[in-house]
Amino acid sequence: MKRLPHAWRYITSTLILAAMGIAILVQIVRIQGSPEVAGVIDQGNYVWKDFYPPRGEIYDRNGNLLAGNKTVYEVGLDMTAKPDMPTIMLALQMSGFDLNEVNYRISQVPSAQYVILDDFVSVEKADQLMALQKVAHGDPTGKNLDAIYFKAHYGRSYPENDLASNLLGFVTEDNHGYMGVEEKYDNILAGIPVRIAVPADPRRATEYPTIPPGQTIILTIDREIQSAVENILDQALKNTGAASGTIIVMDPRTGEILAMSSTPRMNLNDYQSIKTVYPGDTPFNRAISEAYEPGSVAKILTMAGALDSGAVKPDTVTFVPESIVVGGFKIYNWDGGAWGYQDMTGCLANSLNVCLAWVSNQQMGSVSFYSYMQRFGLGHATGIDLAGETSGRLKLPGDSDWTPVELGTNAFGQGVSVTPIQMVMAASAIANNGQMVYPHILYAQIQDGKQSNTKTQIVGTPISANTAHTLTDMLANALETESSTALVPGYRIAGKTGTAQIPLPSGGYDQNNVNTSFIGWGPVDDPRFLVYVWLEKPQTNKAASVVVAPVFKQVVEKLIVMLNIPPDAIRLQLTGR
Amino acid sequence: MNNVNQIVQKVRQAPWRIQHQWIGLFLLGLVLMAMVAAIYLNVTVRATLAGRETNSLRAMITTNQRVNSDLETQLAGLISIESMQKRADAMGFQPADPTDITFVAVPGYMGRSAIDLSVPSGDQPEAPIILPEYTESWFDYFMNQQASSNSTGANP
Repeated sequence: MKRLPHAWRYITSTLILAAMGIAILVQIVRIQGSPEVAGVIDQGNYVWKDFYPPRGEIYDRNGNLLAGNKTVYEVGLDMTAKPDMPTIMLALQMSGFDLNEVNYRISQVPSAQYVILDDFVSVEKADQLMALQKVAHGDPTGKNLDAIYFKAHYGRSYPENDLASNLLGFVTEDNHGYMGVEEKYDNILAGIPVRIAVPADPRRATEYPTIPPGQTIILTIDREIQSAVENILDQALKNTGAASGTIIVMDPRTGEILAMSSTPRMNLNDYQSIKTVYPGDTPFNRAISEAYEPGSVAKILTMAGALDSGAVKPDTVTFVPESIVVGGFKIYNWDGGAWGYQDMTGCLANSLNVCLAWVSNQQMGSVSFYSYMQRFGLGHATGIDLAGETSGRLKLPGDSDWTPVELGTNAFGQGVSVTPIQMVMAASAIANNGQMVYPHILYAQIQDGKQSNTKTQIVGTPISANTAHTLTDMLANALETESSTALVPGYRIAGKTGTAQIPLPSGGYDQNNVNTSFIGWGPVDDPRFLVYVWLEKPQTNKAASVVVAPVFKQVVEKLIVMLNIPPDAIRLQLTGR
Repeated sequence: MNNVNQIVQKVRQAPWRIQHQWIGLFLLGLVLMAMVAAIYLNVTVRATLAGRETNSLRAMITTNQRVNSDLETQLAGLISIESMQKRADAMGFQPADPTDITFVAVPGYMGRSAIDLSVPSGDQPEAPIILPEYTESWFDYFMNQQASSNSTGANP
């Protein structure tokens, strides 16, 4: 066969093309198989992203937001973009950034490609900087702010500022809760951050795993009652010159805390001020964290034990001299005087230390007395769902520091330390037919769209229902007999004042200051509220009946309106009793 | 047989016919490859666009969630107890005193109950957003088809 002219051209072209094809194939195989190249590809194809679920919200029992989330920014600088530092510093200064802090952060990581200039920057501040960035964008001289990056994320927000701050607690920038509810329920509020490898190649977009947000919780607190109680407490401190104060309002049937306030309080949106607001070892929430000698309010527990054990009856009459000797020490009445013959209601109405010491020492005995005190939970934390609870101290016979005189002094609340919440829980047994309820703040939690409510827990039955009714009646009669300033017209209320000496760290008692308390509940036939008021070191007067009883009355007057409690006569008429 | 011999003879006499055949076959292959490449390109582009849109929507969801939180917090601030008290004062309202209240018996009224924030179950997405058809491989697809046909066949 005759060869075509110029056939060598076709042959050469074919060989070159074939060589190129083979070279491409070899290169493809080499790239596919190279571990180094594969690593680079993987790095390019996947980006690790951290997903922080929004922190669970906190509502009051009526659905008012107490703690929510808001947008804040991380402001960073891309050092690889060769930023014009003077221009950037000027813009930061104009937007209100702390240049010392910015310079410090940059100096800490001199060779970093990306520096966080500030975090948790407010939207307003970030908007200001963004506006400057927009104006400077595309500046022909290169003095722009394009190297600044903004990364939006969640920050905590408290719309009510300092309302209920003592029990809410706060969240720091590391997304951890401190104090109160925020710390106690941190694990369920915070949610679980998730790190996911996200493919950079949009063709490989995959479905992200569901990242459950932090659980929303509802508190037993009523915002209106909480606010009213805080206002009353603030006013009481102003009027009496007291060093601090605490008020707790609880539903004695369920243990739900309707309000809890103590001083001082702080704006939770400015949690950095905590060291200023709570200097030294000032408790964040005195209602649960500060144990003190409660004084005569503890007499209701002594009398409850005595009545329940049968040691005394309401009409038991005893002669009350000016003093009684217990454990070799003389115990005096609050006025140092003798009160003659008194029945048990009279002993409570006149708050006679000698009478109660006689009850504990001579009628009950240490075994029975301390058994009842323990049944009421003294010396043990209540377990309330708030961080920072302390347990107080109830010395028992056999303890190295217990002395026999304490059987007498403990009967009227001296020589024993309790927290206000412990007294509230113990008194709930008297208000609630002998059943002591667990005090709690959590009303419900929301998980997967379903609400599960906290159930009422009875933590014990230290006394019988009969004893509870008898003592409640005695306390109501006692208030009426003394025409207490705690009484609210139209409502029968049971309660007890307490004026207690304050022990000094060096030993002995403070001769100039006292603690004044009041515990009461009502309406006595169907209690809807139990209120505890404690004012520390009032200056205008040292008698609880003068200082604290009117505060209790103010709180009850608010509760009557807010809880829709009709006067007893109307209520009994409506219920047909 | 004679016909075959005639064709072979004709081809030998005109070799350009063989070249035309080769060229024809090459062009056919080229067209087929172009068609496959076009289909591949089309599918890739659509997948890329869908992926980008998915990422964009995901970013929008995140932004919207944050905006919702912002608005919720702002609203809570506007109806905070302090704000509401100020507004009530400005409108001339005063806190109620127990003596101001007249109680009226309303049959069946049980009083104010605490809030229930349960979400109706119908609002909860239960199925995955991306169907398995978009994520499974050919092998998975055929295995699933096989499995489903076997299970169908087993039914009476």
